[in-house]
Amino acid sequence: MLQLEHVDVCYGSFKALTDISMTVETGELVVLLGANGAGKTSLFNAISGLVKPASGAIRFEDKQLNGMKASAIVASGVVQCAEGRKLFPQMSVMQNLMMGAYVHRRDRQGNKKRLNEVLELFPILADKASEAAGSLSGGQQQMVAIGRALMSRPRLLMLDEPSLGLAPLVVRQVFETISQINSLGTTVLLAEQNAFAALKIAHRAYVMENGHLVMEGDREAMLGNEQVRKAYIGA
Amino acid sequence: MSLFLQQIINGLTLGSIYGLVALGLTLVYGILHIPNFAHGALYMVGAFMSYFFMVDLGAHYWVAMAGSAAVVAILAILCERLVFHPLRHSPPIHDKIAAIGILLFLEAVVQMFWGSDFRRMSSPYSGILNFDGLIIPEQRLLIIAGAFVLVVALQLFLRKTMTGATIIAMAQSRDGAFLVGIDANRVAMMTFAISGILAAFAATLYAPINLVYPAMGHLVIMKAFVIIILGGMGSVPGAIVGGMIIGFAEALGGFYISTSYKDIIAFGLLVLILSVRPQGLFAKGAH
Repeated sequence: MLQLEHVDVCYGSFKALTDISMTVETGELVVLLGANGAGKTSLFNAISGLVKPASGAIRFEDKQLNGMKASAIVASGVVQCAEGRKLFPQMSVMQNLMMGAYVHRRDRQGNKKRLNEVLELFPILADKASEAAGSLSGGQQQMVAIGRALMSRPRLLMLDEPSLGLAPLVVRQVFETISQINSLGTTVLLAEQNAFAALKIAHRAYVMENGHLVMEGDREAMLGNEQVRKAYIGA
Repeated sequence: MSLFLQQIINGLTLGSIYGLVALGLTLVYGILHIPNFAHGALYMVGAFMSYFFMVDLGAHYWVAMAGSAAVVAILAILCERLVFHPLRHSPPIHDKIAAIGILLFLEAVVQMFWGSDFRRMSSPYSGILNFDGLIIPEQRLLIIAGAFVLVVALQLFLRKTMTGATIIAMAQSRDGAFLVGIDANRVAMMTFAISGILAAFAATLYAPINLVYPAMGHLVIMKAFVIIILGGMGSVPGAIVGGMIIGFAEALGGFYISTSYKDIIAFGLLVLILSVRPQGLFAKGAH
């Protein structure tokens, strides 16, 4: 579904990503493991069209994503839920969700249906609908962020460190929800440092270090891998 | 008492004009972080366009106003496309220099066509209403009502339509706006167009009780900057309230202290309010 071939990303003279080649198949939940600064966010931003790759190709289904405008990439079904959530803090929860449906703004009926699905997934958001998104707790804000991304009707949902800064119990809920979203048919690419929790729900994983992909494998291989255990699980 | 009410009307009139100009300025600043010094030139071109449509082409006041708004909107979009868009990755100082460049350029162009004379532009609303000793010229009433309608219309557009919401979204979180697929270029052009339209409306409303000349934007833009600093950069309510504060301060100060000090009062207030609230009256958390 998603294919990256030899993608390089540079910020000035600094090379953030070097020769990244990876694939995500339809229906998969793929985890991207890596420490801070490994290049996970750069990779997501390259796929989303927020930074331009210096070289290489990014393909989604039969479309070439690199070179497309960020808005067109969202419209084609590749949606990112960014690190730090990036909500509209003074807008209400409902407005935030509806902004997620921006690229489908002409399809009111479809958006209504979608909204009901999102509220079913996150019942708490229905209660908080009229509150300013910035006033919610971290966990609730993360739900708004995921909900907003779902309103864009992604076929590939990219989640960048959704567990960052959340209490352990909330992290578990978030991962359960991600697993549920995936089982309902959305392909998920999940960037995480919380390797153990992420691998539990993943089909496959890549490990990133200093802008390189250094390892790839399915869940069992990753959980059993000595290096991964040492570096990311701490056991 | 009627003298005091008279000054209230004057304050409302001035505040309405300042508020409209400051609104355009604050929208552009809030979304694109460009301090558009050329906004005063857009205001001036708005007045000249209305003058051109009315006096040279003989159009009706309202038609002239609409025509002027259309011309200035296109001009504002051109400024964004040709000047500010190519500078989007440059340091902020480049925007400022470019804005001053546009200001000088537009003034020179207007001077080339119309010269630097002071001109009068009359409106069909030159009558005077007398409410038991309180004298209100029709044009002043029109300014107050016009500003009110424009502010309400702008609020409805920003709060109730999806297109307007993209402007607010962009102001609150640029990254968030990109993530939901909002096209930054579209929002930038739209914001500039709105700021141009507001400037043209303000200029056309105010011109009949003032004069039309190439340097007419200078003092207005200076005060508009004072207003958006007072109100909090990027804040829409701040621009309106700030406009009213400056308008009333000038009208009342001009009357009770001296007309020659009325321009100083705005800047005096700026110093005073900023020493108490350095972030402005309605500063937002956004930036």
